[in-house]
Amino acid sequence: MPSAVETFDIRKTFGELTAVKDISIQINEGEFFGFLGPNGAGKSTLIRMLTTVLRPTSGTARVGGYDITKEPDEVRRSIGVVTQNMASDLDLTARENMDIFGKFYEVPKKVRQERVAELLERVGLSKKADELAATFSGGMRRRLDIARVLVHKPEILFLDEPTSGLDPQSRRVVWDMLQSFMKDYNMTIFLTTHYMEEAEALCTRVAIIDHGSVIAMGTPDELKSGIPGNDIVILTLSREQENARNLAAAEGYVHKAQLENGDLRCYVNNGSEDAPRLMKLATDAGAEVRAVSIQKLSLEDVFIHYTGRSIREEETKRVSMFLGAGVPAKLGR
Amino acid sequence: MRRLYAVIERDVRKFSRNPVIMVMAVVMPIVYLIILGNSFQGKLKGLPVAVVNQDDGYWGRRLDERLKAVAIGPKTVKLTYMSDQGKAVEGVRDGKFKGAVIIPPDFSRRMALGINPEVGIFVDNTDQISEGALTGALTDAVNSIREVSVPVRPDRTVAQARRVELYRTVDYDQALVPGVVVMAIFIGTMITGVFNLVMDRFLGVDEAILMTPVTKMDIVGGLVVSGFIITMLMATIVYIVSALITGIAVFGSVSRFLGILVVLALTTMGLLSMIFLMLGRANHPRIVGVFQGFMNVIFFFPSGAVYPVEGFPRWLRAFSKVNPEYYAVHALKSIIFKGNPLWAIYGDIVFLVCFLAVMMTLAVVTFKRTL
Repeated sequence: MPSAVETFDIRKTFGELTAVKDISIQINEGEFFGFLGPNGAGKSTLIRMLTTVLRPTSGTARVGGYDITKEPDEVRRSIGVVTQNMASDLDLTARENMDIFGKFYEVPKKVRQERVAELLERVGLSKKADELAATFSGGMRRRLDIARVLVHKPEILFLDEPTSGLDPQSRRVVWDMLQSFMKDYNMTIFLTTHYMEEAEALCTRVAIIDHGSVIAMGTPDELKSGIPGNDIVILTLSREQENARNLAAAEGYVHKAQLENGDLRCYVNNGSEDAPRLMKLATDAGAEVRAVSIQKLSLEDVFIHYTGRSIREEETKRVSMFLGAGVPAKLGR
Repeated sequence: MRRLYAVIERDVRKFSRNPVIMVMAVVMPIVYLIILGNSFQGKLKGLPVAVVNQDDGYWGRRLDERLKAVAIGPKTVKLTYMSDQGKAVEGVRDGKFKGAVIIPPDFSRRMALGINPEVGIFVDNTDQISEGALTGALTDAVNSIREVSVPVRPDRTVAQARRVELYRTVDYDQALVPGVVVMAIFIGTMITGVFNLVMDRFLGVDEAILMTPVTKMDIVGGLVVSGFIITMLMATIVYIVSALITGIAVFGSVSRFLGILVVLALTTMGLLSMIFLMLGRANHPRIVGVFQGFMNVIFFFPSGAVYPVEGFPRWLRAFSKVNPEYYAVHALKSIIFKGNPLWAIYGDIVFLVCFLAVMMTLAVVTFKRTL
C-alpha cells in the first residue's frame, strides 16, 4: 500500500533540547493514524515539520509523495491542517473564513461556493454561516476550523490535538465528523492527541511518543496485547506500598506490579478472581488498603507500561523570559 | 495572484470590522494639528512686569507712558507699580513677575545732560521665549523714548531692502498640514500591514496560514497592499479635513491633487515596507506599541514638519537626509503651498521610489516563512 506519510530519521533540536529524536514512521494511504503522547512529548513539533512550517534539524519526510524540505509547496497543496490553536479569524464570518481559505488553495469560485455550503451544512453551521466567528462557542469554532481546511479536499488531514479543551459532548461531535469526512473524502488522517479514549475511538494505528521518541506503535489491540494480563487490579494503599509491590510481583499470577502515584497496579488475567488475593497480600505486607478497582487494559495502561507514568501528568511550558511570561517561547507555542 | 488577493481581502475585511480603530487613527493626527497649531504659535500677552519709577522728572514720566502704551496696545505686559526696588527684583526671582523695570532717580537728569542714561531691566532668563518677548517690548519702549513722530517719507539717501512675496502667506497651522498628513500615514502603517501579522502570530493564527500554499510574496505583498489601501484612505481623509480646518484649497487643480496622492502613495508604501522589515519577526503587539511611540518621534520631528531642518545640528540634519518623512513633508509643502508639479520635486520622488524599492525587497527577502 502506498505511503501517505513517511519519515526518515527526522530530528528537531532547539538549542540543547531535542524535541524529536530520529523518528522513522510510515503511514499508509487511508489510515487514521494517531500520535499519542503527553504535552511536550514532541507531537506538535513533528506535525509542524511534516506541514513545512519547521525545518528538520536532520532527516526528512515525504508527505503525499513530496519531500517536505525540497517540495514544500507541493506538500502544502496536498494537506489540510487543523492546528492546536483555534485558528479561524474571529472578525470574519464562518463563510468568509472558509471562502478565503479556499482562495489560498486557488479553488475555483463555483466549486468553492458549493463546497463551502456543503461543509457548513455537514458541520452544523449553515444557519450561522454569516455570523462572525467571534460569536461561536469553542466547539463551533473547532468545527469551523475543520471545515475550513477541507474546502480544497486535501489528501491528508493533519489534526493537532483537535479536541483539546472541548467538553465531552463537543468532542464526540468532532469524532463523528472526522470519521465521516475521512470516509467520504477518501483521506488519510494524522492526529495527535493526549486523550487515550480519542486514540482508541478513532485510530486504526497508534504511535506512542514520549520525550521525542516513538516508544511503541501498532493498532490499539496490538499495543494492548503486548502487555501481559487482561485486567489491572488497582489498590490504593496508605503505607508500605513498596513492600506490597515486592510481594505482589513475586506472585505467579501477577504479570507485572507497578507503583504509580501511590497506587499499586497489578496486571493479571482475571481481575475479579485475583483482587481479593491481592488485598490480603497487601494487608499481610503491612499496607492499609483504602480502595480497590479493576480496570480493563486501555491505551493509558500501554502508556504507563512503557513509560512508568500517567499520560495526564502535566508538563511545564517554556515561555520567553526576554519578552515576558505572556509570550510562549518557540518550543512552547 | 489569487492568493495575494485573498490575503488582501482577509486583511481589509478584518479591519473593516473595527471601524473605531480607523476613526481614532483619523482623529488623532487632526487633534495633533489643533494642539500643535495652537501651542507653538501666538504672541505672548499679559507678561507680569514690576515697574519701580524712582524718577519724577520729564523723561521718567515719558518712559512710564511708553510702558503703559505697551501694556494697553499690544498688551505684551501687565504692569504692577512698586516703590521698593528690592521687592520688585525678589518678585522676579519668586516667579511672581517675568521682569522688573527700574527707572533710577537720576534718569531724567542724565537724559537731559546726555551722560549714559540707563534703565534697569531684570528678566527671568530661565524662560527664553517669555524673556525674548519681554526684552524686545521693553527695549523698544526705552529706545523710542526720544521719538516724537514717525517719518512719513523714507530717507531717499538710505538704501532700502524691498521684500517680494512669491507665494500666498502660509499660516503656522497651515504649514503643519503636510506633517500631520505624514503622521497620519505613519499611524496608519503601524496599525495595518505587519501589525496584523504580529497579531496573527500572537494569537497563534499565523501557523494555520503558513501551512497553506500562500508564498512569502503573497504574505508580505498582500499585507502591504491591504495596509496601503487602508492607510491611503485615512491619509486622504486627514488631508481633506486638515485642509478644510486651516483654510487650504483641498483640490486646486487636478494635477495638484494627483501630485498630492502620488506623494501620499509612495510614502505609505515605503513606510509600510520599512515597518514590515523592522517588525517582521515580532510576536507581541506590545513590541509594536513601544516601537510606534519611539519611531513616531524619531521620524516626525526631524522631518521638518514642525521646525526647519536647517536649524538642526549637523548629525540630525544627516539623519533627516535618510528620513523618508523629510522628503514626504518637503514634497507635500511644495505641491500644497507652491503649486509645484511633480517634476519640480523629482528629487523627493526619486528618493521615495528608491526607498520603497529597497525596503520592499529587504522585507520580502528577510521574511521567514516558517515559525
